[in-house]
Amino acid sequence: MKLLSSYLKEMKIASRGFYFYIEIFVAIILLLVILVGVDPNPDSKMVEYIYYDMPEEVYEFIIDKDIKEGKIRQIDDTELELKPVEFEVSNKESGEIISYTYEEKKTVLSKTYQKLNPDTGKVKSTIYILDNEEDIQRLSVTTGDIAATITANEEGEFSYRYFLQGYEKERFSNILYILHTYSPDEVDAQRDLQVVREIGVTERMNNQEAVVPVFVTFAGALMGFFIIMSYIYLDKDEGVISAFAVTPSAVWKYLLSKTFVIITTVVISSSIIVIPIMRLKPNYLLFYMFLMIITYAFAALGLLVASFFDSISKAFGVLYLTMIALMLPAFSYYISSFDPLWLRFFPTYPVLQGFKGILVGQADLAYVLTYSLVFLVAGTLLLALANIRFKKSLSV
Amino acid sequence: MISVKNLSYSYSNDEKLAVKNISFEISKGETFGFLGPSGAGKSTTQGILTGLLKHQMGDVMVAGYDMKKVQNERFNKIGVSFEQSNVYSKLTALENLKYYADLFDGPTRDPHELLKIVGLDGRENDRAGEFSKGMKHRLTFARSMINNPELWFLDEPTTGLDPAIAATIKDIIRAEKAKGTTSFLTTHNMYIADELCDRVAFIIDGEIKLIDTPKSLKQKYGKKLVEVEYVKEGQLYKETLKTVEDADRQKIADIVKSYDIQTMHSKEATLEEIFIQVTGRELI
Repeated sequence: MKLLSSYLKEMKIASRGFYFYIEIFVAIILLLVILVGVDPNPDSKMVEYIYYDMPEEVYEFIIDKDIKEGKIRQIDDTELELKPVEFEVSNKESGEIISYTYEEKKTVLSKTYQKLNPDTGKVKSTIYILDNEEDIQRLSVTTGDIAATITANEEGEFSYRYFLQGYEKERFSNILYILHTYSPDEVDAQRDLQVVREIGVTERMNNQEAVVPVFVTFAGALMGFFIIMSYIYLDKDEGVISAFAVTPSAVWKYLLSKTFVIITTVVISSSIIVIPIMRLKPNYLLFYMFLMIITYAFAALGLLVASFFDSISKAFGVLYLTMIALMLPAFSYYISSFDPLWLRFFPTYPVLQGFKGILVGQADLAYVLTYSLVFLVAGTLLLALANIRFKKSLSV
Repeated sequence: MISVKNLSYSYSNDEKLAVKNISFEISKGETFGFLGPSGAGKSTTQGILTGLLKHQMGDVMVAGYDMKKVQNERFNKIGVSFEQSNVYSKLTALENLKYYADLFDGPTRDPHELLKIVGLDGRENDRAGEFSKGMKHRLTFARSMINNPELWFLDEPTTGLDPAIAATIKDIIRAEKAKGTTSFLTTHNMYIADELCDRVAFIIDGEIKLIDTPKSLKQKYGKKLVEVEYVKEGQLYKETLKTVEDADRQKIADIVKSYDIQTMHSKEATLEEIFIQVTGRELI
């Protein structure tokens, strides 16, 4: 009863305050931006630089065949500017390292093609054909795009030599390898062996949908953490915590009622984004369960941090560093080549992975339930610690 | 109702004590004044008695509860009126009282009645954030009565209030006393202590210097005085003379006989003057 009364009071205060509407407002703005500003399936801007190390008539035959099959189409030749550059190329198989230095600027004319999506007819990537390997290497180094040399032997078999930047995931280079080593049927099986679960899921999301896991992760984690601290400091400023401390109600009920308010606002703001964009794809039961547990755990973390400082200005350093740390896994989400092992130890990493699966309706139930349990236990421990800290720090 | 034996407290958990080995007892229905200047240890003592500060050394029993043990239910018997107003500014006056009423286990007072008592009737549905400082203080004061406390802690209950509202607050304290409520009144205002308290304790530098009734203190330390203004050779003179000393009594007689008296008042020593006399410090 006391908990319910505290919760209703906190909801009343929150609904008359600034932070509550900020969250809702941000969710609405983001929804509009996603719906209006993000093309769900835009033309790919992927670029490939290719050198066919084979007689001209052979590669022209290949190109013509692809054009006839509707896989590619030729567009106007493009003038490409090759900048002065210095780099090393390391052969992954032999370990041989070759250094290159180009001091002069150079302009080349490249035959240009667009690779097409056979289903939609949309452009998937732009292919520039050059007549030597050094030029494609230079372009790859300066633009960061993929380059490849395709060679045909006397038996008419092709071999591929890719020039990568060196920071790509091993999985990516392995897929390039198996793509040309196995039959099409075997490629899928091999890809599964190489799979890091989340990439497969991301690939099934369109651009609008891909924003949603990040939003719900940070709505639950960052907002849970930051806004509950703000609420606590508002109460500290008004001195109402001391007034609560001289009532028979336990401090943990006060803390839990604050947490419930945060969960309510996060559920509302997340629903504003998730329902219109993901529609019927997610398992909503699993989604709301996971969202509430995550918010509970990060709000408990916010309570514990708040218990150590008298004001938000004193807590700002810890607040800022924690929020940066919680945001780091988003870099891995958006930059697939950036996925170091240490990043997986950040608590928002499994949250992001969990939400990705849930939102496309392909959740790994064991994964989600395991992490739900972990965050539930962690949140409860943090809340217990915060309760001890608050009991000690409530004073005259 | 309150029993304190050899209570000491240190904020830094060392030998630097904010409260030093104090002992006193307060009977049921008594209004006990805890008087001293800022930093004397008043709020620290009240903090320990209310449980806001953790008990460290000594024995403290409050409303039948041993303060060494954590027993939240003791707050059902206790009301605390804080010096600084601490109400939810986003809630209305009525919502503030209703919310706190829900936090107690037993029957509570009607919030409307309490708001009327402190003169906030008609403002029930206004948010506390829109209130003046005095109104917020009255709301905080009203909240401290919501659970009909047996033991009432009052921290500077009239500080910063205009005389009319202060008089209302004092009347409420007297009315609660008449109902049998025990009050622990912390203040540096000797006049309110004199008016309301059955007994007072003078605390300074964490130590209790004396405990007695205001009347007894005045008898013990106060000297009856006469303040006289008279004209002598065309010039106005003012003197304060003690009626208990022969030399002063003779001087009073001479003045009355020889000069033109302008004003003449008998005067009792105030509690503040006694405090200064006993402690050697002023109440700032």
